[in-house]
Amino acid sequence: MKTRGSKWRKSGFHWLLISPSLLFLGLFLVVPFVLLAVLSFRDVDSLMNLLPTYSFAQYKEIFTSDIYLGTIGSTLWVALVTTAICIVLAYPAAYLLVRSPNRKLRTFFYILLVSPLLTSVVIRTFAWIVLLAQNGLVNEFLLKLHLIDQPLSLLWNMKAVIIAYVQVMLPFAVMPIATSLEDIRPNLRQASMSLGAGRIRTFARVTLPLTVPGMISGAAIVFSLAAGSYITPLLVGGRLQPLLPLAIYQQVMQISNLPLAAAMSFTLLILVAVVVGLLGLIMKRWEAKING
Amino acid sequence: MARLPSAGASSGRRRRFSWLTALVWLAGGLVYLFLILPVFVIVLSAFSPEAYPQFPPAGFSLKWFSALLGSREWLDALWISVLLLIIVTPVTVVLGTLAAYAIARLDFRGRQALQSFMLSPLMIPQVVLGIGLLYVFTSTGLVGSLTGLAIGHVIVAFPYVIRSVGVSAANLDPRLEQASMSLGAGRVRTFFRITLPLLKPGIIAGAVFSAVTSFGEVSISLFVSAPSTVTIPVRIFNYIDQTFDPAVNAVSVIFILLAVIALMMIEKVIGLTKVM
Repeated sequence: MKTRGSKWRKSGFHWLLISPSLLFLGLFLVVPFVLLAVLSFRDVDSLMNLLPTYSFAQYKEIFTSDIYLGTIGSTLWVALVTTAICIVLAYPAAYLLVRSPNRKLRTFFYILLVSPLLTSVVIRTFAWIVLLAQNGLVNEFLLKLHLIDQPLSLLWNMKAVIIAYVQVMLPFAVMPIATSLEDIRPNLRQASMSLGAGRIRTFARVTLPLTVPGMISGAAIVFSLAAGSYITPLLVGGRLQPLLPLAIYQQVMQISNLPLAAAMSFTLLILVAVVVGLLGLIMKRWEAKING
Repeated sequence: MARLPSAGASSGRRRRFSWLTALVWLAGGLVYLFLILPVFVIVLSAFSPEAYPQFPPAGFSLKWFSALLGSREWLDALWISVLLLIIVTPVTVVLGTLAAYAIARLDFRGRQALQSFMLSPLMIPQVVLGIGLLYVFTSTGLVGSLTGLAIGHVIVAFPYVIRSVGVSAANLDPRLEQASMSLGAGRVRTFFRITLPLLKPGIIAGAVFSAVTSFGEVSISLFVSAPSTVTIPVRIFNYIDQTFDPAVNAVSVIFILLAVIALMMIEKVIGLTKVM
């Protein structure tokens, strides 16, 4: 029955189904990136007009300037801290979701978890401004309790950026951890406990290692989001925070040195790709180790 | 410490109080509280009579909502946002459903890479996507147009459809399609009569997610929109960035309401816990 011809006819139908998407992504995802890559090698004159010559000048500017190197460093640092906090906080949240005693409670946790994802990032960020502002709710609360005499300045710093980031990105970390928790067969834990291991030991030796892949895929998403967002830091951190996405936004919108912005974009893209790639490698190693 | 495991994890199992469990639930509960705190704050502010909300609230008022409805600018932005949603959702769902199904059925070496490519807009820094599209649109005259915005939104919403339809497609037993075809139905007929109905849960979830993503999209819209094509999130951004308008709270409440409706729709039709 199954000749080579029929197999080709079969996959031909599927290629036909996928071709509109490939065309669309090719035109509006691949082409912009190729053009951006070319643009990043263009030279500009002092008025930011494009010159017909190509060089590494933009990349040289990024990697020889202390300001830009510092910006890259703090971008990585903020993304790393956000990722670490997200993973730590996501674990108990995922645990509650998976171990909910009934469906109603589980659905309730799901709604709490997904509803931030469904509200626009501007709105979630705006809420943090309302909370953290000088006359915001947190300050008001602390003043009323007489814990402070003067309102604290909680906004316009990196801490505010990280707090808002964690809240915005936490659901992305909870989901994969919950999935991997759910995949653990309950008899594994029971076996461990019936062999005399306590709950903490069982968690450390059985549950935790089996959820590492979930944690890593959560970390990959959170890291790439935290390294690449500009809306949240712009609104709660201010325009001057040394973050690469903010610097790119400023270059495009205010200084309009497009080749420099393109070169910074590729630097950011490569940084994110390297970290995500490394995480993927660790995950592969870990899974190989666990599955023997 | 070492308590005996009771047989099965049935709900009827007697739970003995344990400090450890209590601690974990407390920690988890606090995390959920932290997640929902901003939503709570916005709702509080939207119904507050004062520009700066207080806790406990000083009163109840709908004045920010009426200010919203009386503003030409907000209504224009709302119109653009709704228009985009109506264009973006069907396009994304059709493209994404066909692609996700095809990926699930295709069997070749680069399959994993193809899937990663289709999911990549989720991981690519949005500022990079934004300037990439801005650059291309500037040279093709699409910048500031509704078409340009719609293209940007489709790209960001696309991975959500790929993911949710992909889950449905992976669970779809190919033998059902083979049975249909061996009974004489053609490939296309089988696709519409057998495949699509079985993919429905994933398609609905994907549609809800892409509608919500389009409605809330700001990172790319900010780059490619013009004053005549300002969407609601872009308008909100401009207001927060430049002035302070408490009407933003009222808009946000409408957004949250839509999110809750979307969630209830998913829950009613397929069950929330099944699609994610």
